[in-house]
Amino acid sequence: MDQKSTIRQFMQRLLAQKGDQRPFGDSDSLLLSGRLQSVDAVEVVLFLEEQWGVDFAEIGFDETQIDSVDAIDALVENAGVGK
Amino acid sequence: MSAPAPALALNAAESSPSPRLRLIPVIETYPKVVAFAQTPAGKVAIAGAFSLGYGCFLPQPADWLVVTLSIALITAFPKLRWKLVAFGTLALTVVQPGAPYLLAAVMLGLLLFWCARRWPHSGFGSRPVATLLSGFSLLILGCCLIPRNSANYFPAWAAIGALSRYIWFIGYALMDRTKSPRDGVALEAGSFQPFWGSTTTPFPKGAAYLRRIEAQDAEQLAITQLKGIKLLAWALVLMLFQRAWMFGFHTYLHLPFASEALAMSVRRTPYPWYVCWVSQVLSFFEFLLQLSIFGHQFIAGCRVAGFNALRNTCRPLSSTTIIDFFNRFYFYFKELLVEFFFYPTFLRYFKRYRRLRVVAATFAAATFGNMFFHFTRDYWMIPEYGLANALANFQVYAFYCVVLGAALSISQLRRRAPRSGFIRGRLLPATWVVLFYCLLDVFGSTARNYPLTEHFRFFGHLLGINV
Repeated sequence: MDQKSTIRQFMQRLLAQKGDQRPFGDSDSLLLSGRLQSVDAVEVVLFLEEQWGVDFAEIGFDETQIDSVDAIDALVENAGVGK
Repeated sequence: MSAPAPALALNAAESSPSPRLRLIPVIETYPKVVAFAQTPAGKVAIAGAFSLGYGCFLPQPADWLVVTLSIALITAFPKLRWKLVAFGTLALTVVQPGAPYLLAAVMLGLLLFWCARRWPHSGFGSRPVATLLSGFSLLILGCCLIPRNSANYFPAWAAIGALSRYIWFIGYALMDRTKSPRDGVALEAGSFQPFWGSTTTPFPKGAAYLRRIEAQDAEQLAITQLKGIKLLAWALVLMLFQRAWMFGFHTYLHLPFASEALAMSVRRTPYPWYVCWVSQVLSFFEFLLQLSIFGHQFIAGCRVAGFNALRNTCRPLSSTTIIDFFNRFYFYFKELLVEFFFYPTFLRYFKRYRRLRVVAATFAAATFGNMFFHFTRDYWMIPEYGLANALANFQVYAFYCVVLGAALSISQLRRRAPRSGFIRGRLLPATWVVLFYCLLDVFGSTARNYPLTEHFRFFGHLLGINV
């Protein structure tokens, strides 16, 4: 499975845990739109740390970095830890 | 790298797919209404409706005039939105009592923002928010040393008062220092206590957030403004409901307020336990109602100005977990705690211990951050009672914050998939959550006029335990 699919699958699971089964596009805002909350951002951070070793303490953290599948994908690439 | 602006995005609850009975129609989804809102007549109608509705919340004619004029100009010239927001905000600041102090606080905030951007690798530039909050604390301590009969006493505390109004706005500006346009220093002032209204909690966050949720074209502006008008109408409905509620329960039925029930308990002549329960439950719902009204009012103004902000209070009674309720009942205060205290702790400390990390960050936000926010917000208690007594009087709210931090930690750690069925899945969990917050509210008073033991005595009385 490629990087983007892994991210998409994780976000889908996160939304499903909240009972949100609605579809979303890769560029759709999930955090700033209110579909996911700050508590869910924690889950995303943990996922990125565990999956790709992204260190937010080093690169700085901003919710827009993890707002959509595309944004997360770009973050992983820019952090130099993507495949 | 940044995600596209969710200018038309809806709040999680607002975008609920299930059909609901609506008191106010979803006018922003009617194509004809959206098209009309983009015409000159539609713009006049929106500005006029806003002006009339917002007037019900603003007792001062000067405030109303500034807000109305700002909204009218922004609606007519949306491309000048940022300049007009800054103009409206500064104009409103000028007509406030104590304007020189407030303007000085704004200037200090802009200076700090400029310094943090000019010298990003300096001690201040690398940790500007921590430096700001530490500096503010030291300033308060310094003012405690000024004798009461000194000529500097009142000006010093007035300056602290002005700064306490702006401290979190300045904090957001410093946090967003790398995201603002290079020429945007002066425009940053527009987000400091913006003209549409705010408490010491920034509604909604800082200028960088406003840029992300800004309407990008005429259609988005029309939809955002219609949503604002709708929210303002909802705030007015709630205000009328609040008046009927207060009259019905407290004037007609003579049911005591929770503060009166507590006072009677302190005098050792308590009301019967069931009356105390009624008072406590009423007080909890009155607080929710009050929060909804002013939150809707501010966000309505923000939306009509062209920023599609999420609602501050959004169906809190539907929350099935303690953390969900905390997220829904005062969204922008929760966001403040998360951004200033939760994330910095979570991203830096205990990284190898997942659970401890969540607990530490939650306590940093819900306990320490919450206490710091309220203690500095109510700075006037320090000159009133002295620093030691002000700290001692804070014991009840401190207890509230500790319990809240513990409950939110547990709620986060035991997150699980929602149960099926209306009763087991929604009604029972929601009832427990409301009951928890209702009881915790016994200690949530910021009046700080009685010691913790008296609050415990009242709490015991509610449970039938009389000491």
